[in-house]
Amino acid sequence: MADVLALIDANNFYASCEQALEPSLIGRPVVVLSNNDGCVVSRSSEARQLGIAMGKPYFQIAEQLARHGVVVRSSNYALYGDMSQRLMSSLEPFVAELEVYSIDEAFARLPRPRHGDLSRWAAELRGRIRHNLGLPIAIGLAPSKVLAKLANRIAKADRRHAGVFDLNAAPHPDPWLEQTPVEEIWGVGRQLSRWCRLRGIANARQLRDMASGELRAKAGVVGLRLQLELQGVSCLPLEEGPAAKRETCVSRSFSRAICVDDELRQAVASYVVRAAEKLRQQRQLCGRISVFARTSPFAPNFYSQAASAVLPVASHDTAVLLQAALPLVALIYKPHKRFAKAGVLLQELQPETQLQHHLLAPLPTEQQHKREALMQSIDQLNRRYGRGTVQWAACGMTPSWMMRREQLSRAATTRLGDLPIVWAR
Amino acid sequence: MPLLLIGALRGLRRPLRLPLAASTVAAGFPSPADDYIDVGIDLNEALIRHPSSTFFLRVSGDSMIDAGIQHGDLLVVDRSLEARPGQIVVAVLDGAFTLKRLVRHRGRLRLEAANSAYPPLELHQCGDVQIWGVAIHVIHSLGRHG
Repeated sequence: MADVLALIDANNFYASCEQALEPSLIGRPVVVLSNNDGCVVSRSSEARQLGIAMGKPYFQIAEQLARHGVVVRSSNYALYGDMSQRLMSSLEPFVAELEVYSIDEAFARLPRPRHGDLSRWAAELRGRIRHNLGLPIAIGLAPSKVLAKLANRIAKADRRHAGVFDLNAAPHPDPWLEQTPVEEIWGVGRQLSRWCRLRGIANARQLRDMASGELRAKAGVVGLRLQLELQGVSCLPLEEGPAAKRETCVSRSFSRAICVDDELRQAVASYVVRAAEKLRQQRQLCGRISVFARTSPFAPNFYSQAASAVLPVASHDTAVLLQAALPLVALIYKPHKRFAKAGVLLQELQPETQLQHHLLAPLPTEQQHKREALMQSIDQLNRRYGRGTVQWAACGMTPSWMMRREQLSRAATTRLGDLPIVWAR
Repeated sequence: MPLLLIGALRGLRRPLRLPLAASTVAAGFPSPADDYIDVGIDLNEALIRHPSSTFFLRVSGDSMIDAGIQHGDLLVVDRSLEARPGQIVVAVLDGAFTLKRLVRHRGRLRLEAANSAYPPLELHQCGDVQIWGVAIHVIHSLGRHG
């Protein structure tokens, strides 16, 4: 029998990770805030039941949260990244193929058993992940990716499904498709959904059954593929393993506006340091570096500027990248502007191995090796003892513009000094 | 020396890669030691069977002292194992991780300390106890040297 596609994702992933490593949070309402403690980006089911809305700015609801005794956390990416890897590698043995789609969701392909029933398999997988990682997951099963995504939504929407919904096993799939508004279909953007609505196409069943010629005229092959997927014909293959990265970007909003050029330079320097570290982790070199900064788009006189420089020889050496990037800050800086965000983009990435002995190499081979050893040691120290243990002077000592993360939990799974305590008493 | 342990944590999902062979240049004679060089010992591989469900916790207190677990030790906990009587487990008790031995006593399960100063906890008497994971190793550092 044909293969089945599954969309497996973690419920309230960030909040669930917080609860998984901190037993005092089990059963309590928890919300996680976005960068700079801006908005609510994840709510535990307990917080959801209290009616706390997603995406609400923190300052607007801080009082409501306190009144209900909601635990508030800043985004702890070290923890979520580690738990995500654990989740994905736990799923792998259960499926034939896995495509990690985002930090908390993956598409999977698996053969349908002869008796056709996957509910036991799904229930066991859910139980296993809950037991081994403390994470609740939902599973949608269908013949195509678009339908698997839709089935996953149904699995989560109704408690009675217990986190699993198999669209193939449903005797009458049409009512489920009719329940899914066209805006909620994976791959339908704002433009296409507006176009659909204007033609009276409001849900997934109607989109599936509309004249394909009309859809093709509007959305081309992409639209046709979408329709075929809704009809249960799998057109979108699983993509295993991430493609080699072509660009690496590090950008952040500041906790307060920056007006002084020195501070902007420090911010850019610290992003270069982080980006170079990422580059070395990816075993890549970059050929071009861009620096950008902008003011708040909500304030009058919006200003945004970028500048880039080509490196004479591709590199991942922090000092080389700093040398190229810092002069660019002077080009984009403008006095009296209140900068809200800046970033660094590394482009023209290539594998480390491509550059062997270059005639233009700035350093003799032996010195080049020494530099690489130095970078390695710095990366190791920072991984071992926490980011910023070895710091580049260009980044400044105690920057006050740094991202606000006032309610950050500990790096409980990735740092020895941050391990949770188990009481022997 | 705690350095060894730090390496173990970092390599959880990325095994330590050590050279397989000492001589890399094709010219000349190969090192006679090449045939005898092994990949080295990776503590993660040796101690941890299920890396994705294994967590590290820090022990605080002396109630497990008779089981060889001391204050400040590093505890390796596998959450994928089903707890069986006789094993040392991490339980969630009053919102905190608590270390005990799971014991069957007169047909009932209870959690015991490994220190006579602490009374046992009858599982049927305490309301909400969850076994979080099974302790599989304890790493005790013999002070600082070097």
